Amino acid sequence: MKIIKKILFGLFIFLSLPFMIEAKEEVNIYLFHANWCGHCKEEIIFLNKIENEYDNIKIIKYEVSENTKNSNLMVKVKKELGVNGSGVPFTVIGEKVITGFGDENSTGKTIRLLIDYYSDNSHRDLTNEIITNGKLINQIKSPENLDILYDDEEVKRQIPILGEVDAKKVSLPLLAVVLGMIDGFNPCAMWVLLFLISMLIGTKDKKKMWTIGLTFIGTSALVYLLFMTAWLQIVLSVVEIRLVMIMIALFALFGGGFNVYTYFRDRNKDSGCQVVDENKRHKIFKQIRNFTSQKNMLLAILGTIALAFTVNLIEMACSFGLPATFTYILAINELSILETSIYIFIYILFFLLDDLIIFLIAMKTLSVTGMTTKYSKYSHLIGGIIMVIIGLLLLFNPGLLMS
Amino acid sequence: MKIIRINAVWCSGCLVMNKVWKEVEQIYPQLEIINYDYDMDYDFVKELKVGDVLPVAIFYHNNNEIKRLIGEKSKQEIIMVINKIEEVKNENN
Repeated sequence: MKIIKKILFGLFIFLSLPFMIEAKEEVNIYLFHANWCGHCKEEIIFLNKIENEYDNIKIIKYEVSENTKNSNLMVKVKKELGVNGSGVPFTVIGEKVITGFGDENSTGKTIRLLIDYYSDNSHRDLTNEIITNGKLINQIKSPENLDILYDDEEVKRQIPILGEVDAKKVSLPLLAVVLGMIDGFNPCAMWVLLFLISMLIGTKDKKKMWTIGLTFIGTSALVYLLFMTAWLQIVLSVVEIRLVMIMIALFALFGGGFNVYTYFRDRNKDSGCQVVDENKRHKIFKQIRNFTSQKNMLLAILGTIALAFTVNLIEMACSFGLPATFTYILAINELSILETSIYIFIYILFFLLDDLIIFLIAMKTLSVTGMTTKYSKYSHLIGGIIMVIIGLLLLFNPGLLMS
Repeated sequence: MKIIRINAVWCSGCLVMNKVWKEVEQIYPQLEIINYDYDMDYDFVKELKVGDVLPVAIFYHNNNEIKRLIGEKSKQEIIMVINKIEEVKNENN
């Protein structure tokens, strides 16, 4: 009897052997992409290429910018897998997610390794589970272990570190500095600061000058920070929708074009200070006069904050949407919160640079120094041109704006 | 020659021009320059119909206006205007 058992057992091993060798796991690759997205195109080219290299993979693509069913699916998959951020391309292979696509030998290599890894190891096809039963029935270990590329040692060891920044794309810090300075150089609300400083110098009270001056500049920074972060949250939730991108592009084109036009219209107009309409001007002067002469420091500070809020909202409207466009570019770059806040901080720092310089000189010399307004019209021109370029890029090649 | 200058405390262009005019005064000490503030002396300035760009410099010869410079001008431009007015004055005498 024992022999028969042995033979049967041998037979069984022998028969299952080919499956053991042959039985490669079926590996599904789900790609959520948007047709405006340059990175996505690169990944699609790569995936098409490897499709005939492997015989056990299936590539399933979902275009999200014009197909709401697909974009809803992406939102659900991201939610179930605990992936935040709404950027594309977004790839899911088995239990692993990949956000973004570097190039063939960085992300591409990762995808190959995941395919090899999953071809020999059974795995759950999470996306398929979510599609079939609407959500994950039994929860995966814990969402964060689905970190971007890998978590188990074996796969991790072989995968190169992703993330060399591709120099040919726009460099965000440079954009932050340039746009910030242009926005700041725009003299819309400069006259208020100069009037405030001259009033402060009149008080001859250094302590008050420092507190009120810094409160004004600090609140201006805060107003911009609040606006840009709020705008960022709004935009982040719709970033893949192509329609939104087209609207922003047209907004930038129109805003930029208008400013190039005003530059040429007023080119030979005398460059000097534009007098704001009378009652608005006198209202602000009254405000400044009473809180600079205000004995109670707290009331003076509150008065300054109120003034800074109103003035900077005017300034923002007058700076033809530069901060809004810049924030949108941050949104489409799938940055971490830290990176985004650093870029916003750089923008605001350079936006307030001229105000800070004038304030510090005034503190030291007790006199107001003015910057020539001759070149402020050029800020309209340069800012306008950059906005037009950004608008065109957003329309035709947004990939360039994504580092 | 009398020159009325209209400035504003909050106008950076005017601050830049103050320096320029100080240099001009050294070259032409005989100039009679009277400064007005756009806000403090608003009633007087209104009569001069100054428009909405500052600073403004109005040149007078025997109390009637001959020339008006609006906005930021370079020292050379101001000197040119003064020289031209001086010439006209000498021809008339």
